[in-house]
Amino acid sequence: MVLRAIFLILAAFAFAVQAAGADLSPEAGDDAVAAPAPSVGAARPEPLSHAAMVKAAITSYIIPHIDGLKAAAEQLPTAVENVCKTGTPAAQKDLDERFEKVVVAYAEVDFLRFGPMLEKGRREQISFWPDPRGFVARQLRLLLSSKDEKIAEPGALAKQSAALQGLPALEALMRDKDTPLGPGEAAHYRCIVAGAIAANIVRLTNEVSDGWEKPDGWADKLLHPGPNNDTYKNESEAAVEIVKALIVGLGLTGDLQLKPQIDPKIKLAPPYQKSDLQKAYYAASITALHQLYDTVDLESWLPPDRLWMKDWALGTWRALESSDGFGGKAAHAERDDVPTPREVFDRTNGLRNMVANRLSIAAKLTVGFNELDGD
Amino acid sequence: MNSTVIDRRHMMLGTLAFVGAAGLRPGFATAAGNDVAYVTAARLASGAFGILLLGADGAILREVPLSARGHDIAIHPSTGRVVVFARRPGAFAVSFEIGNKTAPHVFTPGEGRHYFGHGSFSQDGRLLYASENDVITGMGVIGIYDVARRFKKIGEHSTFGMGPHEIMLLADGKTIAAGNGGLDTTPDGGRENLNVESMQPSLTFVDAESGGLLAKHEMTGELRSLSIRHVTQDAKGVIWFGGQWEGNPSETPPQIVGSAGLDRAPKLIEPRGKGGDDLKGYIGAMAVSNDGRFIAASAPKAGHVVYVDTETAAIIGLSDLKDVCGLAPEGEKDFAASSGFGVIRYETARATTVSQHELQDIAFDNHLRRI
Repeated sequence: MVLRAIFLILAAFAFAVQAAGADLSPEAGDDAVAAPAPSVGAARPEPLSHAAMVKAAITSYIIPHIDGLKAAAEQLPTAVENVCKTGTPAAQKDLDERFEKVVVAYAEVDFLRFGPMLEKGRREQISFWPDPRGFVARQLRLLLSSKDEKIAEPGALAKQSAALQGLPALEALMRDKDTPLGPGEAAHYRCIVAGAIAANIVRLTNEVSDGWEKPDGWADKLLHPGPNNDTYKNESEAAVEIVKALIVGLGLTGDLQLKPQIDPKIKLAPPYQKSDLQKAYYAASITALHQLYDTVDLESWLPPDRLWMKDWALGTWRALESSDGFGGKAAHAERDDVPTPREVFDRTNGLRNMVANRLSIAAKLTVGFNELDGD
Repeated sequence: MNSTVIDRRHMMLGTLAFVGAAGLRPGFATAAGNDVAYVTAARLASGAFGILLLGADGAILREVPLSARGHDIAIHPSTGRVVVFARRPGAFAVSFEIGNKTAPHVFTPGEGRHYFGHGSFSQDGRLLYASENDVITGMGVIGIYDVARRFKKIGEHSTFGMGPHEIMLLADGKTIAAGNGGLDTTPDGGRENLNVESMQPSLTFVDAESGGLLAKHEMTGELRSLSIRHVTQDAKGVIWFGGQWEGNPSETPPQIVGSAGLDRAPKLIEPRGKGGDDLKGYIGAMAVSNDGRFIAASAPKAGHVVYVDTETAAIIGLSDLKDVCGLAPEGEKDFAASSGFGVIRYETARATTVSQHELQDIAFDNHLRRI
């Protein structure tokens, strides 16, 4: 066993060296076309200031997407109620569509793991995933066997396990083929629970939205750093928070969505697989990260001799967006070939490393090696 | 980036002082027999991960490649053998001798286990203890390895808690202190915490021989979300711990460094100001000075090192260094601190910088150990 472990470690090491070296070299791959040197005297655009980065991220990305999640979630309770009242295919289809919209909207903000999403554990409550120990199923079984209708009272579900409070628990009820949600007696209590979960998701997304947008909320905190600000002492600290979210998002996508496909030892169900939304989740994650990447425009800080990174990043986004995240081709793929899961994983990691170790430094933002997620 | 040449004379004096204080740490300043002063895991200039053996002037004397990111280092008391543990949820440890360039030996925690990044040798050097996860149950384990048999795993004790991080054999040679973070994680779930709402962090004391529980201090009430991560021990035998706050950021305690003992309940130190010390909820490493009087605690998210006089439990210094984390004693009363930006700085417990060295494109990992 030890020999096997050594072999695996050495193999992993060989790959790590390859990925770290080859992926980011200017010659690597067909996307790494050397950027033309700027002509003498040609004006380069001004780098986006740290304050402008924060403002752009908040106004162009964060607030619209937080609002989008809130708006999508508000449609859930009625859709659940209709299914439970009528059980018609039309009502079921409507709930499926509205559920998908919430899942996609959540995927677009999943990596904003600071501020209102972190406070009171709201992120885990909205979307308890990954769930390698099967907490959602276990907790749901316990609740359903209790048949305690007080769960429908305002605030009751909020006192329960995070695994019961959000989208995965609702999905489990929606996809139960033995006892589907509907008007029958068998689903009576399940509908009470589903209604409570839908209402709870609305509450949570409202709280997140309010936390961002209220006067002196998190948007104000980021936009007005200074000595009296308890979180961000200057504009660079605020900008680092945004860049860290981008790094976290690339890491989460790589480790939790992509790595299980190339490492057979990992047993982790993809997000919202019961609803066949894992590809939609991947696509939303990548689209969102790309949008935030473009919004903060770290590339505007690159010196002329590092402009090849722009081309590498462009090729990488094209590869990530040409994949459906599961070995297939995306609907709007720009590449003719299908990127393999290995390539998609490697490029996601490479991009994460480039943002953390190259672009952020070029932009004079110091994202620490040790501070990122603690240990 | 600016590099300042280290004050070599000071360092030599520091090294001599360290040797002079060796009685506090029997055998530590012996077997290396060369210029290696520190061991740390790091991200190298190539982007790959490795172990760095550094001279007192910060120069890299040897690199040992790793397949993935390492974390802390255990140092054998008499032979100069070191063991570097994988960062969680890694499942490898690498052993090699400081003064011998033979190939490193790799060993693993066995099926259904992974390392949490920390470990400690027995005083006689025959055994190695490692903090591990029982992946199925999520409970903490102290893996026991026979050094002479190429680190063959020969047993396990419980840490009596979930998600242990740093474990430390105390000066009595019989007791292991374990910082149980209280967090449930699995390798399949990456580094995601699965039970933040119900976490039960604790500081436990375990009989190293029998595995029996000697004492358990649970974090309760307002501290129920304070994940215990790192521990060290002062000259009087008091245990000092540093935590990571996993609760609402707005409810972060004003201080997250404290002390405890087998018969002494945990008590956090007083912050310097009314608003707290703004450590951003995370202590990344702890160290004690060689005279055993001063404690250092690094806060990488805040970019601070906090220095505490154990006589008064009062903060006597707070220094600034971006992404600082690794800490090690230097001389009798001073410390070395390393950062994710390749800086090694020597400073006093009053937070006065003695000297500083900087390596380009190197990111020092969370822990730094003095040979």
